[in-house]
Amino acid sequence: MARTRPPGFAAPADQGPLVLTERQRGAVRLVACAPEAVALGIVPGLTLADARARVPELAVLEADPRADAQWLEAIGDACDRFSPIVALDPPSGVTIDMTGVAHLFGGEAGLVAAVEARMARWSDHLRHALAATPEAAQALARFQTAPAPSEGAALRRLPVAALGLDADEARALRQAGLKTIGDLADRPAAPLAARFGEGLVDRLDRLLGQAAKPLDPLRPPPAIQVERRFAEPIARHDDALGVIEELLGEAAELLEARGRGGRAFVARLYRSDGRVFSLAIESAQPQRAPEPLMRLFRERIGALADPIDPGFGFDLIRLNVPRLEPLGPTQLALEGGAVATEAMTALVDRLSTRIGRGRIKRFAPRDTHLPEQAVLALPAVELATPAPWPSPQPGEPPLRPLHLFDPPQPVEVIAAVPDGPPQRFRWRRTLHEVARYEGPERIAPEWWRRAPDKPGLTRDYYRVEDVRGRRFWLFRHGLYEAESAAPRWYVHGLFA
Amino acid sequence: MSGFAELVAATHFSFLRGASAPSDMVGRALALGLSGLGIADRNTVAGVVRAHVAWRGTKRRAEEAGQTVPDFRLVVGARLVFADGTPDIVAYPLDRAGWGRLCRLLSAGNLRAVKGDCVLRLDDLLMFHEGLALIVLPETSGEPPELHPDPPDYPREPEAPLSLVQPPGLSALLDRLAGVAPGRVWLGANLPHHGRDARRLAQLATLAEAARVPLLATNDALYAGPEARALHDVLSCIRFGTTIAEAGKRLEANAERHLKPGAEMARLFRAHPQAIAESEKLLAMIDFDLDQLRYQYPSEPVPEGWDAQDWLEHITTQAAEARYGTPLPPKVRVKLDEEFRLIRQQRFAHYFLTVHDLVKFARAQSPPILCQGRGSAANSIVCFLLGVTSVDPLQYDLLFSRFVSAERGEPPDIDVDFEHERREEVMQYVYRRYGRHRAAIAATVIHYRPRSAVREVGKVLGLTEDVTARLVSTVWGSFARDLPEERLREAGFDPDQPELRRLMLLVGQLLETPFPRHLSQHVGGFVLTEDRLDETVPVHNAAMAGRTFIEWDKDDIDALGLMKVDVLALGMLTCIQKAFVLMRQHGLGEHDLEVDLAADDEAVFDMLCEGDSIGVFQVESRAQINMLPRLKPRTLYDLTVQVAIVRPGPIEGEMVHPYLRRRAGEEAVDYPSPAPPNDPDELRNLLGLTYGVPIFQEQAMKLAITAAGFSPEEANQLRRAMATFRNVGTISSFRDKMIRGMTARGYTAEFAARCFKQIEGFGSYGFPESHALSFARLVYVSAWIKCHHPAVFACALLNSQPMGFYAPAQIVRDARAHGVAVRAVDVNHSGWDNRLEPAGGALALRLGFRQIDGFREAWAEAITGARGDGYASVEALGQRAGLPRGALSLLAEADGYGTLGLSRREALWEARRQPEGELPLFAAARARELGEEPAMALPAMPASEEVVADYQTLRLSLKDHPLRFLRPALRAEGVLSCAETSAAKSGKRVRTAGVVLVRQRPGKGNAIFITIEDETGITNVLLWARRFEAYRRAVMASRLMLVEGEVQRSREGVVHLIAARVEDRSALLARLTEGEPPVPLLSRADEVKRPVEHRHPRDVRVLPRSRDFH
Repeated sequence: MARTRPPGFAAPADQGPLVLTERQRGAVRLVACAPEAVALGIVPGLTLADARARVPELAVLEADPRADAQWLEAIGDACDRFSPIVALDPPSGVTIDMTGVAHLFGGEAGLVAAVEARMARWSDHLRHALAATPEAAQALARFQTAPAPSEGAALRRLPVAALGLDADEARALRQAGLKTIGDLADRPAAPLAARFGEGLVDRLDRLLGQAAKPLDPLRPPPAIQVERRFAEPIARHDDALGVIEELLGEAAELLEARGRGGRAFVARLYRSDGRVFSLAIESAQPQRAPEPLMRLFRERIGALADPIDPGFGFDLIRLNVPRLEPLGPTQLALEGGAVATEAMTALVDRLSTRIGRGRIKRFAPRDTHLPEQAVLALPAVELATPAPWPSPQPGEPPLRPLHLFDPPQPVEVIAAVPDGPPQRFRWRRTLHEVARYEGPERIAPEWWRRAPDKPGLTRDYYRVEDVRGRRFWLFRHGLYEAESAAPRWYVHGLFA
Repeated sequence: MSGFAELVAATHFSFLRGASAPSDMVGRALALGLSGLGIADRNTVAGVVRAHVAWRGTKRRAEEAGQTVPDFRLVVGARLVFADGTPDIVAYPLDRAGWGRLCRLLSAGNLRAVKGDCVLRLDDLLMFHEGLALIVLPETSGEPPELHPDPPDYPREPEAPLSLVQPPGLSALLDRLAGVAPGRVWLGANLPHHGRDARRLAQLATLAEAARVPLLATNDALYAGPEARALHDVLSCIRFGTTIAEAGKRLEANAERHLKPGAEMARLFRAHPQAIAESEKLLAMIDFDLDQLRYQYPSEPVPEGWDAQDWLEHITTQAAEARYGTPLPPKVRVKLDEEFRLIRQQRFAHYFLTVHDLVKFARAQSPPILCQGRGSAANSIVCFLLGVTSVDPLQYDLLFSRFVSAERGEPPDIDVDFEHERREEVMQYVYRRYGRHRAAIAATVIHYRPRSAVREVGKVLGLTEDVTARLVSTVWGSFARDLPEERLREAGFDPDQPELRRLMLLVGQLLETPFPRHLSQHVGGFVLTEDRLDETVPVHNAAMAGRTFIEWDKDDIDALGLMKVDVLALGMLTCIQKAFVLMRQHGLGEHDLEVDLAADDEAVFDMLCEGDSIGVFQVESRAQINMLPRLKPRTLYDLTVQVAIVRPGPIEGEMVHPYLRRRAGEEAVDYPSPAPPNDPDELRNLLGLTYGVPIFQEQAMKLAITAAGFSPEEANQLRRAMATFRNVGTISSFRDKMIRGMTARGYTAEFAARCFKQIEGFGSYGFPESHALSFARLVYVSAWIKCHHPAVFACALLNSQPMGFYAPAQIVRDARAHGVAVRAVDVNHSGWDNRLEPAGGALALRLGFRQIDGFREAWAEAITGARGDGYASVEALGQRAGLPRGALSLLAEADGYGTLGLSRREALWEARRQPEGELPLFAAARARELGEEPAMALPAMPASEEVVADYQTLRLSLKDHPLRFLRPALRAEGVLSCAETSAAKSGKRVRTAGVVLVRQRPGKGNAIFITIEDETGITNVLLWARRFEAYRRAVMASRLMLVEGEVQRSREGVVHLIAARVEDRSALLARLTEGEPPVPLLSRADEVKRPVEHRHPRDVRVLPRSRDFH
């Protein structure tokens, strides 16, 4: 079975043929090309620059082998329903052991039809083959080009590449003029084994059905995943929640064994008619205890706009833990310190789950000279451990005020040109006489965020203290004469 | 007089920190009316000569114009950045001795570090502080350095046996320095506008007072004016390896670090007016400028007891008498006397003797290393007699004064080419003879080029690599100096988009200056001195082991009057030398570069006139081959013109066709005359030899002098302005001046414009006459070998690869066309190199193992060493020569077991059975196991596949041409062969197909030249640029190209196919390997497999890549 592109993987609209690229040793190279691109001579292995030189309008996306692997795994999962034994045949195949299952679908033809129908929505390019051995089926699905009178004949016509050769072996055989499986099958095995090892002869035998090897359902180790299947679909909401709780308990054991906790949990409820509901929760700290997680799941369900409708019932419920982080065994802190952060975390998690993850925020510092952009409020669940704040060197006064006005408030100032400090200023109709000042701290605008012909104005910040001891942060907006004939002044913040 | 001098100013030679050129810093300082400027780059003096030249030029222009020279002083030094946490210290030499110490200090740091870095410690400064004024800055800007893992052998400064551990802190440092160097230490203070400037300044003032060190005001300038802030930020990002959006506070908060006028500095430092006054006090103490560097030639080449000039005259006269007989003919005597007089007057005798010394060394080797002087040295009979050049200047009436002229005052420039494979021997000789401390290679400043600038600036601005790659691909050829908007539109970008405008603006700034990226070593320019070189200029480690180079480049060296000797490499000399060795071996006589000195062999010229010049030096390119039948060279001077005429200068100046017409006698030779009272024949004297058409660089320059009234220096400036494209403004002012000058004297404006156009073309790619003449000698010598000994020529050419325009397949094909028998690679006959074998009175060319892709020289030696009476089997070869299986397989792939009676397929099958990487001890035991095996009856390999396999391993096939097998299919489509196309009538519309050899888009890119080849010959295709877009993919991607177009035949019989349609038929090549596995329906593109990683490179390529020049 071959795959071209997953759904939702549309090429950027109204562009040329799609290619996927990857960085290899400093060059961006194509790793996969759509058939339309191949028709234009754009083949994997070209550098992107070369390909663009030939077909400038190529649509380019970066290859994502991990996503491909996940995609294949998902297809493998979907095939669970045809046979208990399903093996992945990366990069683009799935092998199903149909021993004793065909009758469930009304014979082999029925099974094929069922697979085709099911896979139509996953792939728009499906090739399949039935054969006596898994190797033969895989080879025929990949390499057969025309119908043959019998399975044996079909196999003999396959190219030697169907043996899954490495590049060197394939080349050596081709150079020897041995191009098809038939060419090999007709010749003595000993010279072959002397040159290519017993492995090749074994593979040849298995392909031709002369030796057998059971199919091991091999799959990449999954992220933690537990599931329940039901012979009789469960139709009650509470039963489903109960199952999720049980699954959380199982997952907790697995997590504990690995010394991990989960930052995200996804429960998937498969309805017997094919619809799937997905419930996801996140936690600011790694978690594995089932109770608080279950609480979050309940919050999530309670907050759903579109309630989960069991319909005819769920036949499969699955729990995934996609994000793992180290979590050692915990002990309650006697002094209460750890408990306090835990309580805080639990509060953040609950509030975020109930009223929305974007509504509970926490400040994070940003690396910029511009004061009003130096801080960012982020969803608290994302900021597990707050980043440290920059602090002035010991003995230095704080250079930034505790409170910033957003936007800065205009003030009237009397100051010497060109860059003298404010002598007195009027703010909120009150006149402030400046007693002490320090500055200017000159901060130029971020030219790279502005149009090249509108560079923006430079600011001169002063820390000032008025005669009554109140301290302000003022700035002149624009360099005198160089940028502005009469620069305006603003108060941007108040020191404590 | 402003009363303030900025003494801490960096230039863009503080790489990725400074953002202005030295000349811009000087210019701005003058404009602001500063009383002085101190250039101090980070641990380098690489930029100071440029600053010096800029100031010297300003001074001279002011003097010439009768204006008052500004009261300004330029001082040069370096900012010492330490690796041990010591704050930065700016050091200025107070006198010549101080400069020497500064250079040695920097050299010591450079030689500890890997290339481009400098590792300094405070101890170094304490060792060399004498004669230096020191400005201590409050902070260090050092970063952890990288030590050189294996420093080259260089006379090293002794490390101090004991040193005090420096207590931390600025005040301790000030105390210590003030004690060591009383009266020469300052504390530099700047106001960066960071909010707490006043407090910091007060702290520094207290510190300074406590240490009894004066405070000095500075702005620690990184660029000339505040407008450079964006560029500086971008450079910082490149340095940090980050993007502008992520750089954050690592960037400067504001644009304050520029040069500021004295009044502004006085206002800023109003609390400490003394700090301003100190800058002038320091300035007054300095009594050094770069003009004090006096150059002394090394004395080695002169024997004890001789004066250099006398010795030169002595050996030259001896050589003259040996050549021309005694008494010397009067013509020789006169010419020698004239040259001797000029050499004496300019004191260049040492220089000639030094070059002679190198040449003598090369000649004395066994076998001798071929060498030849290039460039204007060919004008000199002294050079000829000393064996530096092989052109007899008497014969060509070249003027020595063009080589060494009294008024130029620059040292002469003798560039000597050596065989490229053996030049290193000469370079090591130079180091041996003069010592590492007196000889080093000059630097080359590597500048930002359009590609690198777009890529790096694009990265900083956050453009994806995809976009920058696409932008870069719009620059066809790395010499395009701009990114015109039209090109951007072609590539589908909107040039008005802000991101792109920003990119263009910044890239433009990098390219306009142009901005240096790093220092590298010059290809072969040696600077030699009598005294320690590292007391004149700091020395660096080169990337290549065992080499050191100085910080100054060719222009800097010229400006200061240092001597440079160019030891260059030329591949053709290697080839010629190999040919001479082969001729010696095969009884064809002893030869050297003076072979057939008269250059009057009709057969050689007949061959060239037919355009039969594949492999011949300089005249083998497509354009040259087309020109040969039109120019019909009959003498060495014709070859000189031939070499020089197919160049951008004459082509863009539209001089080619007039020359050819006049030479063919189709157009009257006339010399544009100025109006009276000027000499009406002034151009006849200048352009007589070239039918009134300026072809050579000297002629164009002379034209500017004679016809437009330029001074010689102006003409030289003009040439330099062209070569560096420094300033569009200057060029247009030169243009106006030249056209005005010529029309004022009565020339037509049209002629003047053409002349100027040509100078424009010459700027970067022009050929001087004498240079062309030297090259013409090599053209003649290589053509002579090709003409009389084609087998020798082909063999030497193949053994000198890679060089020249053509791949081995074309060289072999050409040799066979000249009747040379070529024999296949064979384990029982071949050596590593290609060889000649006697073949019934003639010589046959036996291909060597070096032609096999991926084969190693050591394997080849093992094969020839253990060959004895020959090998009888693959197994015997493997065991006796100890070859790994990979080597045996490669030989099989190259079909090298012919004398063993094994076909390629059988040999491969056999080779694969051989043990892999086994210990010799077990080899014998294992040998018994390799007994008889059942017959495999491998299918025979079809002929077409044999040819393809040949191409895949050898890049050529002696069996056939791949296209022969496709001919029936092509014939069916009505496609003509190349031979038929060449024979077709002019104007006929034909279709031709062939393997692409070369794609070229020369000059302005109006046309694309493609050469295709089939079994009958080659066809030259010309595709106009306007058609290119339509066929871009086919043109760029084709291995096998089908071209439909019109045959165009010139009167000389040169045929071009003017393409109307181009098709990529590379898919046909797959048919050559018959019976390939049926192509699966599943196309390769559907697989996620990575062909590049998994496939053997030879699988990917059916035919070798064409050689593309774009």
